[in-house]
Amino acid sequence: MAGSSVDINKVIEENSVIPSFKNFNRKQPNRRVKPLKQITVDEQKFLKTKEDKHKPNSINYFNISSPPSIKPTKKYCDITGLKGNYQSPSNGLRYHNNEVYTIVKNIAQGVDQQYLELRNANVVLK
Amino acid sequence: MTSTPRDDQLSKRKVYDLRDHEDLFSSEPFTSPKLYKSGVPIGIDFGTSHVRIGLTNQKDPSNVFPTTLSRWRDRKLNKGFTFIGNDVNLDQSVRTQARSPYDGAFITNWDYVEQILDYSFKHAGVSSQGFVDNPVILTEKAGAQVLQRKGFYELLYESYGVKKVAFGIDDLFSYYQNNGKTGIVIGSGNESTHIIPVIDGKGLLAETKRINWGGRQSSNFLSSLIALKYPYFPTKISSNQIDNLVKDFCYVSRNYENELSKALSLDTLETFDITVEAPFTEIEKQQKSEEELARQAEKRKESGRRLQEQAQQKRLEKLIQKEQEFEYFSTVKEKLTFLSKKNQQALLKEENFDDEADFNKYLGNLEKSLKRARNQDVGEDETAEEPSFPLADIPDDELDEAQIKEKRRQKLMRANYEARQRAKREKEEEKLRLEKEAQEDLEWRQSDLQGWIHDRREKLKAIVRKRKDRAKLKEQLNDRKSHAAQLRMKSIASLASDDTSKSSNKRKRATIDNDPNDTFGTNDEDWLIYKDITSIDDEELLEEEETQLIKLEKELLEFDPNFTEEDTYEASYDWRKSTLHLFLRGPRPFNSEDSHEQHQIHLNIERIRVPEVLFQPSIAGLDQAGISEVSESILLDRSQGKGFSGDSYNVLQDIFLTGGQAHFKTFEERLHDDFRSFLPVGAPLKVRSAVDPILDPWRGIAKWSSMSEAENSYLTKQEYDEMGPDYIKEHNLGNASLI
Repeated sequence: MAGSSVDINKVIEENSVIPSFKNFNRKQPNRRVKPLKQITVDEQKFLKTKEDKHKPNSINYFNISSPPSIKPTKKYCDITGLKGNYQSPSNGLRYHNNEVYTIVKNIAQGVDQQYLELRNANVVLK
Repeated sequence: MTSTPRDDQLSKRKVYDLRDHEDLFSSEPFTSPKLYKSGVPIGIDFGTSHVRIGLTNQKDPSNVFPTTLSRWRDRKLNKGFTFIGNDVNLDQSVRTQARSPYDGAFITNWDYVEQILDYSFKHAGVSSQGFVDNPVILTEKAGAQVLQRKGFYELLYESYGVKKVAFGIDDLFSYYQNNGKTGIVIGSGNESTHIIPVIDGKGLLAETKRINWGGRQSSNFLSSLIALKYPYFPTKISSNQIDNLVKDFCYVSRNYENELSKALSLDTLETFDITVEAPFTEIEKQQKSEEELARQAEKRKESGRRLQEQAQQKRLEKLIQKEQEFEYFSTVKEKLTFLSKKNQQALLKEENFDDEADFNKYLGNLEKSLKRARNQDVGEDETAEEPSFPLADIPDDELDEAQIKEKRRQKLMRANYEARQRAKREKEEEKLRLEKEAQEDLEWRQSDLQGWIHDRREKLKAIVRKRKDRAKLKEQLNDRKSHAAQLRMKSIASLASDDTSKSSNKRKRATIDNDPNDTFGTNDEDWLIYKDITSIDDEELLEEEETQLIKLEKELLEFDPNFTEEDTYEASYDWRKSTLHLFLRGPRPFNSEDSHEQHQIHLNIERIRVPEVLFQPSIAGLDQAGISEVSESILLDRSQGKGFSGDSYNVLQDIFLTGGQAHFKTFEERLHDDFRSFLPVGAPLKVRSAVDPILDPWRGIAKWSSMSEAENSYLTKQEYDEMGPDYIKEHNLGNASLI
């Protein structure tokens, strides 16, 4: 997309100045990129190993997560988002009325799972 | 769907452009080194969507840019460059390479963070030598992960030689900036939403809760919704465009159930529905000149005529053949009556028939098809006078070679002529019959209008029912196990077995492909057997039904005072009544030919469905309680046994909204309504939003940095080395120390 009136070379030049404030002698730690899963696992491990040193009932990332709702969940149509009074027996999609059911009934293979994925109700093969 | 006169009266809808990122008019600004002062704390709000950085002696951050980084290779120079923040948008090829150091709520790539910090300090004007000679105040989330904090400590102490670092919670900085003392802070950011009660300026972390839903999730949700709503949308909608759709058009519904129930009514949609058009380059249709069009039409007509003539000729030939056959078998029939039983049988065998019944059946069918063939158009006979065929009846032996040839021609011509004549007669009879019928119908209508109307209505109903049944049957056939499908299989099986059991009937059917006696297909009727098994999609039949339907409706419209346009079959498919049409195309008819309309998306229910997840996370399959429910339990837990008084009472006076999602319209009002629903009558309640939900955390840092509390909250490198990352010098706006 064009439209920017900024010279790309000027930006490169501006940003290629070596920073005066930086310590380049720092020994680079070896692993600086970690997948998301690893981060959570590491954090849990860290908390576990230091458990005896930590205050009881201390706040951490995991225990401030909001608990599941205790109110009855309302049901909505998966296709339109309207009130979902009915559920298709064949693929589990919720739908609003007869007309939406024509879509639900004849939905292409796999698309029903995409709709279910929106509310985390899809089948995940492992 | 065709547009009706009623549709033309509708006013034009406003069409919004699908906004992409803003164009850049300058590169990221540098703070002048003159403004830089060592020792002044630098505030960094290192968010998942944007970084805000600046010296805290200023009112506003000097730089605000997206937390993105792009490694880009200039192919000409064969050299790699790194672009950060807004500069990423300089070039399309740079932008496609853009990455974030975050994956979800967590930093996964510390190399990127370091480069972004380099960039940030440079732009903030840091010019000290060898190290960054400023304390640094960073934001983090309530209950942030310790190892994430550790990453920042290490980077700042080791790579930048920062002397001391302090952390604080962004939502609380924002509350502090807005002079909050006691209240409930609801911070709905890019990755998560936190609900933090604050009493006397101190955040109560023990009662803080986090909902894993933020702006990014909202955008992703909308993106999936649009992709499923318009699976064949011609252009790709970028994440930037989706973000803008969320920002511009989504709002928190004050009463979700109520609003949903009337969301797709025509009146509501006039304002509720938003039409957004994706940019596209229109393809100019080549205008053909009048002359060219005329020539083309002429060409088409000409070829049509030729085909028609050919078809007529063919039909005529067939008719003649059939007539001859009929004549021949008629003589055979006559002969049969004179013969004895035995000779009859022999003759029939000779003619390939099983018995007399078979023969009669064949003859009957032939007669019928002959009649039908005569009714078909076989072309007009141009000559009005009867032509003469003088040679046709003279025996061969009285003629010479040339005459015999001529005789053969004349014979053919005569047969041709006679066939035409007979066809003409047949047609005239048919015409008379129709006229008579019409006359009778007219008389009936005039004498007994009610009866006539009743009859027509019944006929119409029958057709509509037939259509419905067919649709049902078609649907059932999709399911292999359904009754209809089983019946069909049965009939196919029985047809197949028919073939073998009646194989003696060689004239009509044979089973082996290269059987010389296989004459299947020579007669049109042979193909009728397939009609039984594929009766659903017969286009001819459908067409006939359609014309009949239209005729019936036209008659009823004319003569039945109680039958209006609204009652017609087409009207029952009115887009105004179609939930799906209103959902997909809004309150206007859809013209699938219009390239503008092809590139338009309609936002209606999505506008409230996306923000509603904050209140009902189950909509997006998130197994957590929503904002109102969490707040309710926080308040009720605290008030247990004491009733609503004291802290709980005070806290209600200031419900405070901050974070990027605080931009949703009517968010405050909805919170107000929801809180009212669980609070006792007369409880005080005030809801407000941050002045600037996005920048206020940074401003809060600036304001806080000059306080003595800040001075006591910095952690030096020595202290860090000694105590580790899980140690925090606790302050009102920060996380709690684990040690």
